[in-house]
Amino acid sequence: MKLNRRGFFQVMAAGTATALASQPAQASDQAQASNPNSIGMLVDTTECIGCRKCEFACDMANNLTGQPVKAFEDMKVYDRERRMSENAFTVVNRYANPEDSNRPIYVKSQCMHCLKPGCTSACLVGALRVGDNGAVVYDAWKCLGCRYCMVACPFQVPMYEYDDPLTPRVRKCEFCHTRLEEGKLPACAEMCPPMALTFGSREELLKLAHKKIESNPDRYIDHVYGEKEVGGTSWLYLASREFEKTGFLKLGEGAVPSLTEPIQHAIFKLGLPPLALYGLLGAMMWTYRNGDEYIDPGESEETDPSA
Amino acid sequence: MCKNCLLVVALLLVISSVFWPNPSAIEAADGVHGDPQARCKNCHSCEKPTHENPCLLKCERPKEVSGIPDSATHGPDVIFLDQLVGLYEPVYFPHKLHADMEKMGEGCAVCHHHNPPGRILACRECHGGPSNPANLGQPGLKGAYHRQCLGCHREWSHKTDCNVCHAKRSEIAGKIAAGTAIANASPGMQDTNFDIMGSLHPNIETPKKYVYKTPEVPDGPIVTFHHKEHTDLFGLKCVDCHRKESCARCHDPQSHPPHVRNDPHQDCEKCHDVADNCALCHVQEETKGFNHETRTGFPLKTFHQQLACAQCHKEGRPFKKLDPACQNCHGEGWIPKDFDHARAGVKLDETHQQADCKDCHTEGLGKPSTCSGCHDDGKAFPGSVPGTVVQPR
Repeated sequence: MKLNRRGFFQVMAAGTATALASQPAQASDQAQASNPNSIGMLVDTTECIGCRKCEFACDMANNLTGQPVKAFEDMKVYDRERRMSENAFTVVNRYANPEDSNRPIYVKSQCMHCLKPGCTSACLVGALRVGDNGAVVYDAWKCLGCRYCMVACPFQVPMYEYDDPLTPRVRKCEFCHTRLEEGKLPACAEMCPPMALTFGSREELLKLAHKKIESNPDRYIDHVYGEKEVGGTSWLYLASREFEKTGFLKLGEGAVPSLTEPIQHAIFKLGLPPLALYGLLGAMMWTYRNGDEYIDPGESEETDPSA
Repeated sequence: MCKNCLLVVALLLVISSVFWPNPSAIEAADGVHGDPQARCKNCHSCEKPTHENPCLLKCERPKEVSGIPDSATHGPDVIFLDQLVGLYEPVYFPHKLHADMEKMGEGCAVCHHHNPPGRILACRECHGGPSNPANLGQPGLKGAYHRQCLGCHREWSHKTDCNVCHAKRSEIAGKIAAGTAIANASPGMQDTNFDIMGSLHPNIETPKKYVYKTPEVPDGPIVTFHHKEHTDLFGLKCVDCHRKESCARCHDPQSHPPHVRNDPHQDCEKCHDVADNCALCHVQEETKGFNHETRTGFPLKTFHQQLACAQCHKEGRPFKKLDPACQNCHGEGWIPKDFDHARAGVKLDETHQQADCKDCHTEGLGKPSTCSGCHDDGKAFPGSVPGTVVQPR
């Protein structure tokens, strides 16, 4: 039996059904985005004075370098732009303020804790996952060191302990999830002297951010970075100057895994598509076996003497 | 009573309770405090607020009410902020110094915002704890302190180093113990010249005069404002004119362009009648400074020149014309004990120094003198001089 017209449509219908079955999965992703338990941090860059105490607090809370506070009072580091490292989950950078050269703009960077992160989607083993509160947390025990997360992150946040030959880990801010469980604030927010960092529910923070913009239109530009970027992030930023000019990436509103996940999930949905595919191939083999058999000339020669 | 009647009464009760205006609705309808959105409970903690006891909520309210007097007389001189001591030293906050400075700014309410009338609240009474999850917009105590200080300090000194405020306690304590002036003990304020023009602000060098154009009239008359004269001679204090000034206007002129006064007449009309008196200030040429003689006909010499206006014009501003007779100010029979008559242009000889003032000045001091009280030979001033004529001083 050949794969006739009817058979072809049957296979296509099965594929379409599977693709449709993947739609509810997307819907549930959106539901997660508006998770009322979702925590967040609002960074008011106009309040930040660049004191680097958040870097110190982070270092202490995560047992990174263990340097004393004096080491974080060195303001020469602002002479060049710095990036996060496996020993610094957060760094503050300085940017020029064209309106007042005496008051530069300081921007703290760390893991943005995307609502739909690229890293968790890329992780093969679920070492990175989104917690119930929206924090993107890491389990070194599960991690196999593929570093796909580093490629997948639109903010290029995860860093790798290349120096450690035996038990290298992927390192990044985990929203101080252990401190949160103890009822404490994230270390940086607790330390920040002018409270440029406000910790709270993401929903409330968004309201606060828009209220601030509304009541101080001269102070802030009308944009909350992280509200819509890459499908929304838990860390939100307010600024007095265009974000692109103070080290922020201009990113679209679509979540990083929004393109890849529907395809992958569709293929592996309940294992049906592979079964269907292999079934189809098996059926084709079976059909050809019973139909016009291909006779190998060599084989026919070998069998010829018996004839 | 019939069953239907009871039903009707019950129905009426229900209707009235539904449509009876509640207190907040009354306020809203009346536009209380000029705000149609006003609701009692937003600002008042009790059921029936009165003028005597407004029972205002002490922290943030939708409508700002500040019951803070614009005077630091009852405030503390110094406050040690040590509730949050951790990594750094506590902060020695010279409260009086800041309160005095704020006279030129927006007043005490800049820091003591949301303070209802009555007791003055400490920062921590509203900004308690690390942060308030119920009101994310309200910073915790640490944030409130830092934002309040940095708001200005960042603008005018551009210093955000922790040690600017968190100075070593030992250093400050030593200064206080040594009896140094309170404000002098504050870090960074050592060179301050105090008691200057009603404010603890260091002396500001200002130009002698400012010449303003009349913007409404091109090529029109100009106004010469003799600034130094107003402060030094007339004794005006900075705060008499400079109110609601931002520190950064002078300390960071780059980002804060000069303050444009909406109504420049406002400051002048405190003393000058500006209503129908344009030509008093608006003239074609720059005016000269104030001269008491040309303006009033009474020359200020020697002693009088050294006096501040208000020492003679005791009724205060606006200064009024005084009777130039000496006794008007000095009282009847006034004479300084060590009066040197040479100041008046005649140095008395030894004989006349013995005489009493009234022996010659029979009509009063400063008036022409007569000799006939002692001399019968018809001597008279200025033909005869009781000494030598000298240059009056």
